[in-house]
Formats: sequence, structure tokens, C-alpha cells
Amino acid sequence: MSENDTTTDGHETATDGGQEAAADGSGIVAPDDETPTWSERKERTQGLSQLTYEYFERARREDQDLRTESDYVERDVLAFPVWPHEMIRNLALTSFFTGMIIFLSAALPPHIGAPANPSQTPAVILPDWYLYWSFGLLKLGPLNPELSLLGGKKLMADRTYGVVANLVVVGFIAIVPFLNKGAARRPVEQPFWAAVGVFGVIFAATISALSVKNLVPMDSHLLFDLTFLLPFVGGFLTYAVLKSMREGYMFELNRRYYRLRPPK
Amino acid sequence: MADEFAKGFGILVTAGLGWMTLAGWYTTPSFEGTQLIGAEPTAATFYDTIALLLKDILFWFAILGALTFWVVIPAVREARRAYEGEPES
Repeated sequence: MSENDTTTDGHETATDGGQEAAADGSGIVAPDDETPTWSERKERTQGLSQLTYEYFERARREDQDLRTESDYVERDVLAFPVWPHEMIRNLALTSFFTGMIIFLSAALPPHIGAPANPSQTPAVILPDWYLYWSFGLLKLGPLNPELSLLGGKKLMADRTYGVVANLVVVGFIAIVPFLNKGAARRPVEQPFWAAVGVFGVIFAATISALSVKNLVPMDSHLLFDLTFLLPFVGGFLTYAVLKSMREGYMFELNRRYYRLRPPK
Repeated sequence: MADEFAKGFGILVTAGLGWMTLAGWYTTPSFEGTQLIGAEPTAATFYDTIALLLKDILFWFAILGALTFWVVIPAVREARRAYEGEPES
């Protein structure tokens, strides 16, 4: 580095390894009187340049104010060490759930029923509750069409139809990630896919209720209709609400960047 | 807004846990039938009376406390903001 440290007459050394001809300033055009300085460029006083400057200055100022009001501390570190930061949080969560288990087992001991009789089939046979939806799909017999082409016969047995319905539902859930990558951070940004999600959640609940229709205090035909009606109602409602919310959401988003006035 | 949600949620789950415990002790005659909202015991001692009263207090505190922080306080703020004519921030 000693051969590059040739500082003469107060000129700074070219540190980019460029041509030596630029070091004496001969290749640089000196600013004349008509060249605006940077402060003059910032102080545009008319027309589009002023508007542009005000837009960006306003956006910058709003971001600065938000940062000042926030209690979030910006740290110039890439991550936090496991001890104590991560470990304290994990221990807090673990202690909470362990304490909750101890509290519930001590205060509300679970009921232990009579021992099962292996020689007798119980009256009600049900899978675990998280498989009710699949059990409900086996009860779609009324939806199995009687095709006139086959002389009023069904294409497949009701039980086969129920198994195929499982494949359809699982297949649709598997296809969804390929249809929508899920780039939205909030439901309001993609109302349609939010509505599809609400449809799925409600359908999971209603088809689970259908699977235990003997235990649901409701007319079973009405329950069957509601099973397929409520998901559509919920989906349409979600779409309508989110679609009408989106304008205001985009307005709030844009207001930070463009100088708009809220309508009175 | 997030703070108000956390306050209401904390009230809901904490008071709800207390209500669920007391209801499991006093108004759950059998696990085979009605649970948590069963008939209250007729022959109640002094401590039972206090516990049953506390159960009702916790139940309504869970509901009204959550509603206060989720609905009432935000509505009052919105109404005041609309009354004073300030733009939404």
C-alpha cells in the first residue's frame, strides 16, 4: 500500500485502482454556476419536482415518526444467542404448559370409565374426533347419483362412493398449494383464497357433525343440507366482507406513500 | 389495538380457567351426562356458597371483560375520534 499512498497537494489518493490520470482532477469537469447543487436540487419549489420531493419526504417522515413512537429497538445483530434469550423464552413456554397439565390433573382429574367388555360390541362406534370428517364422508349416500343411463342404478356402491369422496377432498387439499403460492400476508389481500380457506374450515366442522348425526339434536335431513350449505354461505360472506374491506385497506396502504386526503 | 386484544384474551382465558375448575367441582354431577352447567348442589356449606358465587363472578368477568376490551373500549375510541372530527390514523 506504500506505493499508492502518494498524497500530494492535499489531493486524495485514488483508492479504486483506476487510472492515475484522474488523480490530479484533470478529467473532472468542474461545476459551473449553472449546475445545481444537491441542496438546490432538494429544494425544488415548483411543479412535479416539488410534488415528488414532498411525496418522498412525507413518506420518510411518517416512517421516522412510526419508528420513534414504536418501542421496537433496532439492533444491528443478525440473531440472538440461544442462552439466555431463546432459552428463557422456551423455558417460560415449557413451564406454562407443564404447570397447566399439573394444575388440570390435580384440580380436574379425568374421568375413568368402566373397563371395556371385549366380548360385546359397543352401541356407538366412532373414530377419534379428528377423523370425524373422514367418517362423515362415508355417509354421502344420498349424493350418490342414480344414473338413468344405467337404468336407475348407481355407478358404484355407497361405500365406494364414500371412499372416493375421501380421495377428492385429500386431492383438493394437496392441489391448493400449487394453485396459490400464498404470497399474501393477510386475508384481506386475497379475498378469494381466504374464502376458500373459510369454506374448508366450515366444511370440516359440518362434515364432522354429519358423521355423528345420531348424536346431533337436529333433523338429520336438515343437518345433511346444512353440511353442504353452510360452507358456501361462510365462503361467500367471507369473500364479500374481505372484498369490501380491501378498498379501505389499500387506501390506508397507499396513503403512506401518496399525499391523499381522507374523505370527510 | 394488539394490546387491547391481549388484555381481553388474558381475561377470557384466565377467568375461564377458574370458572371451568369451579364448575368441574360443583356443577358436574356426572361425567356421563351434563358437565360444567349441571344443577348446583342444594346442600351447600359456607365455603360452597362462596365458591358458587365466585364461579358466577368468574363466568361473567370472562365474558364482560373480554367484551370490554374488544368491543366497548375500541367503540368508545372510534366514537370519540368521530366526534372530534380527527382523521383516522
